[in-house]
Amino acid sequence: MTAPGDMICSHCLLPLGQRPMQRKANGENCAFCCYGCCIAFQVKNGTSEEWEAAWLLIRLGVGGFLSMNIMLFSLLFYTDTFNGPDARLIPWIQLLLWIFATPAVMILGGPFVRETWHDGLQGRLTSSALIVIGVGAAYLYSAVAVIERGPHVYFDTATMVLMLFTLGRLLEAAGRARAARDLEPLLAAERESVVVVHDGAEIRRRVREVEAGMLVRVRPGERIPIDGVVIDGESHADEAVITGESRLVTIGFGSAVIAGSINLDGPLLIQSGDAGTATRWAQICRSVREALSRPSPSHRLADRAVGIAVPLVLILGVLTVLYWAQWLSFDRALLIGLAVLVVACPCAVGLAAPLATSLGIGRLARCGCLVRDPAALETLARTRLLAFDKTGTLTEGRARVVDIESDGVGTSEVLARAAGLERHSEHGFASAITAAAMTRDIEPVVARDIRIVPGRGIEGNVGGERVAAGNGALMGDLGWSLAPTLHERGRSLEASGYSVIYVGWGDQVHGVLSLDDALLAEARSTINALRDRGLHVILLTGDLEGAAQRVAVAAGIDDVQAALSPEAKRAALKRRRMRYDAVAMVGDGLNDGPVLADADVGIAVGSATDLARETAAIVLPAGGLFMLPWVIDVARAVRANILTNLVWAFGYNLVALTLATLGLLQPILAAAVMAGSSILVVLNSLRLERLPDPVSAPIAKPPSDAETARAGIGVPVALGPAIERA
Amino acid sequence: MTYYLVVFVSGLAGSFHCIGMCGGFACALGHDPRGPGATTLRHLLYNFGRLTTYCFLGALAGALGQVICTRQGATVTLLGGSLNVAEQILATLAGLLMIVMALQFFGVLQAFHRLTIGFGSSTFAISLRSLLTTPNRAAPLAFGVFNGFLPCPLVYAFAAEAVSTGQALPGFLTMASFGLGTFPAMLIMGGVGRVLAPAWRQRGVWLAGSCILLLGLITLGRGILPFGAHIAHGWPGGHPA
Repeated sequence: MTAPGDMICSHCLLPLGQRPMQRKANGENCAFCCYGCCIAFQVKNGTSEEWEAAWLLIRLGVGGFLSMNIMLFSLLFYTDTFNGPDARLIPWIQLLLWIFATPAVMILGGPFVRETWHDGLQGRLTSSALIVIGVGAAYLYSAVAVIERGPHVYFDTATMVLMLFTLGRLLEAAGRARAARDLEPLLAAERESVVVVHDGAEIRRRVREVEAGMLVRVRPGERIPIDGVVIDGESHADEAVITGESRLVTIGFGSAVIAGSINLDGPLLIQSGDAGTATRWAQICRSVREALSRPSPSHRLADRAVGIAVPLVLILGVLTVLYWAQWLSFDRALLIGLAVLVVACPCAVGLAAPLATSLGIGRLARCGCLVRDPAALETLARTRLLAFDKTGTLTEGRARVVDIESDGVGTSEVLARAAGLERHSEHGFASAITAAAMTRDIEPVVARDIRIVPGRGIEGNVGGERVAAGNGALMGDLGWSLAPTLHERGRSLEASGYSVIYVGWGDQVHGVLSLDDALLAEARSTINALRDRGLHVILLTGDLEGAAQRVAVAAGIDDVQAALSPEAKRAALKRRRMRYDAVAMVGDGLNDGPVLADADVGIAVGSATDLARETAAIVLPAGGLFMLPWVIDVARAVRANILTNLVWAFGYNLVALTLATLGLLQPILAAAVMAGSSILVVLNSLRLERLPDPVSAPIAKPPSDAETARAGIGVPVALGPAIERA
Repeated sequence: MTYYLVVFVSGLAGSFHCIGMCGGFACALGHDPRGPGATTLRHLLYNFGRLTTYCFLGALAGALGQVICTRQGATVTLLGGSLNVAEQILATLAGLLMIVMALQFFGVLQAFHRLTIGFGSSTFAISLRSLLTTPNRAAPLAFGVFNGFLPCPLVYAFAAEAVSTGQALPGFLTMASFGLGTFPAMLIMGGVGRVLAPAWRQRGVWLAGSCILLLGLITLGRGILPFGAHIAHGWPGGHPA
């Protein structure tokens, strides 16, 4: 039985093929995508208890011993050492070569034969079939030649081809594992063991067995495995993997810590706040694991190409032998055919896409950006249109007080009364008003007999006087008079998308608070950076025209569509798709789930929802809007890498195939260049490791509120600097 | 014959250098619980695996030299020259390389030394540790084969010499003599399992350096002196040049 989490190779973390190799290593069941990974994994992790690990190495070593002996004698043979009187030795040397070659072919070729056999049972021909057929033909021909005292034997070719392919696969697997190093901490999250303190005793447990309330000890340098609260110890933590920002957070007694962050310098005792499997970190890890096991479109395409190529190459090989057999001796023709089979082995093609994709996903995940589907990464790279949602994406998603108008009483008095009432409320506007009072050092008045009027506002009693804060309807219900200037002001503010709260006492409305959602500080620089990358940026929002315009101008977006229902948003995206081919939608993942799911690439920023129910294909951490240009850079780099890999692999195969068909490439040389091509693909992909980290772009000075307001509706702003983000 | 004897002595002396690294492996192979016979077999297999790699490298290097010489030699003949220029260039390069390697044994050119053995040899060695502890009888052989490929200035020096011989057989014989030369010390290491006194090791390393320096100078001489061939033929028993 294979758990769904085990659908990726234990060594290189790439998706498993249709027939994985199952092995037991280090007490865990492991599955490998190929023979090379199996060897490389055991070379790296094998312990002395793992007899099989060593057995694979022994197999490689003994195979190497035998083939080197064969090669040694063949070299002497080819360099005419056995000329003249020594010529009588030749049949004996050939026999010796046969004796060496038989175990070598069995030892080295065994895995290839098994692979071919299993694939054959499923009616598929894979690249290992090419090797088996080619090498088998060379071996059989040579064996017959020894018996019949023929002039030429090719045991050296047979064993060296096998040796080089085994070695190539091993090196390739080693390279892939290096690529997987980034992903390892992500995938090990729930399997990692932690020290749980129970009744003074320390017990090792797996993260997935940790429950809420348990005490966990984390040493310096270790990853904090659970969400919780520090109850002993002081340290610094790096929360880059969760927040995307690599900065140090000082933690001490009572600090909340997030699973996935790294405890840098001091030992900590943490009380777990949640089960080990419920943390965002664990969710990220599960999500990455799922994404990795899913082949990307170009991966599927490459696989299909390989599936078609193998039978074609086989036919080409046979035709080559038949053709050359007319002009050359049969053994020469056979060698040319072998070279064709060996050199056409499309190993690198199959490797091109998954490796680059995994590297990209790992690179993003290390900065807290989650890719849930490899296909999204490839689509994002060719997207030319990015649609933004407004609330919570470009803006903070929280209202703040931007303006206070009064009928003559001091604005601080209005705010003090409003805050006095609102601190008893849990409405979104309430916190904005109390925050506004707090920043201005205004002491809220003490209010009693608080009554919340649903959908209207709040009222109470201050020093025997009735005070109310709420919308126009509340004031109407109370029958309080409203000065015409205030009334007009309120109407115009509401019309341009501000939220308006009237504050009144003593049977009269004395002030109007206008609230607005503030633009994120990094919004403008992010939009500029996106435009520098040739992307068209639009704003699609359900908000009112005025509010949308204000945000668009402040963020530097020209193309705005406001007052859209979710259906209208989807329709708008669909229309754009005609022109821009692939469109991406950026939202907060809360309100626009269906739209995100409908776009070619849905990107959620700072999603608070459960990752498992997330509809966006790419999820940025909270406050991660600034990373968007970087994410696009990574996606483009991955796509470019896949393309160069494919062009290289296909081009290389074609050139080498032509040379081999013309009889210009020795089989051993062919095997060497073939192994080399896979290694080159690995090395090319590893360049993705060197992508720079996301930098929080130098935030352009946020346009002042005066500018914002003026640009939007031409309202003068009474107050000074707006309240900064907490 | 004298030539191969010098190579053998270089190997013998040079193996005091080997003790530093490969000696550790030999120690680690240790004793076989199945008795002294099994232990000897174990170490013989290990050394035999190592020797095979050396021989293979030697033959390969020799054949490579032969390919270079014959191909270039043809053009030289066309130009009317009687001397094989390619062979001389090869000998010069090999000689220089050997001298550089030899100087390392005297503590000169340490930066180069790091370069030659720095190619991830420790990673390679760590990867192979599982082979050292398996009871499998073939494991020492496999280990020896891999061990032979470990980066080592001695091996480089003699591989260069093998290329300069310009034929597969002498290349093979050069490396084989060298490999056989390293046998005694490595066998002793395995059997005795005790590191020789550092002073003695140092003397051995110097002796090896001197031998390689001598060989390198002769090879270089073959390359650059006008009558270089005479020096080569000056070896009693004939030098395979």
